Amino acid sequence: MQNNQPQNSQKVKLRPGQKNRPKNLNLFTIRLPINALVSILHRATGCILFLILPVILLLLQFSLSSAQSFESVVSILHSPFIKLMLLGLAWAFFHHFFAGIRHLAMDVHWMTTLMKARYTSKVVLVLGAIATLVLAIKLWL
Amino acid sequence: MLIELLTERYPGMRAWLTQRLTGLVMAIYSIVALLRFFIIQPENYEAWVSFFQPIWWRIASLIFWLALSMHAWLGIRDVFKDYVPNYVVQRVLQNILVVLLWIYLAWVLWLLLV
Repeated sequence: MQNNQPQNSQKVKLRPGQKNRPKNLNLFTIRLPINALVSILHRATGCILFLILPVILLLLQFSLSSAQSFESVVSILHSPFIKLMLLGLAWAFFHHFFAGIRHLAMDVHWMTTLMKARYTSKVVLVLGAIATLVLAIKLWL
Repeated sequence: MLIELLTERYPGMRAWLTQRLTGLVMAIYSIVALLRFFIIQPENYEAWVSFFQPIWWRIASLIFWLALSMHAWLGIRDVFKDYVPNYVVQRVLQNILVVLLWIYLAWVLWLLLV
C-alpha cells in the first residue's frame, strides 16, 4: 500500500472534523482483504436487490393476474438471456443472504477474530457459489 | 429499560437493531418460501395462484415486505450517507427512497388483497 498523504501533513496538525484533511480516493492503491471484499459485495448486492424490486413486483402481478399472462411470464423467464440474468440476481440474493448471516453471527460475537473472520468470508463466498451452481443446474438441466 | 436504552441513551442503536431483526425475519421467510416452492412445485397458473392462497402465507408475505421496506430504507440510506456528500442531494434521494418504498408497500398490499 502506498502512502498518499501530502508531505506537509506533518507540519500542519489537523484536528478531526477539519475540512482539508488528506483524502485517499485512489481506489487502486487500496488492496481489498477478503473480509472487505465480502463486506462491499454485501452492500453492492443489497443495492442490486433494491433496484430489481419493481421488476419482481411487476412479474408477480402479471403471473397472478390471468392464465394467459402467467404463460407469457413463464416464456419470458425461459429465454436464455433472461435465465442468465436470473442466475446473476440469484447469486446477488445468495451472497446477501449468507454475508448477512455472517454479520449477524459477528454481532453476537461469534467468529470475530481476524483468522476466523477470514475463514467465514471464504465460507460465505463458497456457499454463494454453490447455491448459484445448484440453481444453474436446476435451470439448465 | 431496553426501549429507553435504544431511544434515549443510544439513538443509533434502534436503527442498528431494526436492520438486524428485519434481516432475520427476511432470512426465515426466504427459507420457508424456497422450501414451499420446492415441495409444492407450482407448474401451472392454478397451482401458482393457490401457492399464494393460504391466509397465513399472505400474512407472512406482508410481514416479509414490511421487514424488507425497513431494511431497504436503512441500507440504502446508509449508502446515500456514505457516497453522496452534498447534503441537499442526499435528502432529496432519501425522500425519493421513502416514497418508492411506500409505493411498493401499497402495491404488495394490493397484490395480496386481490
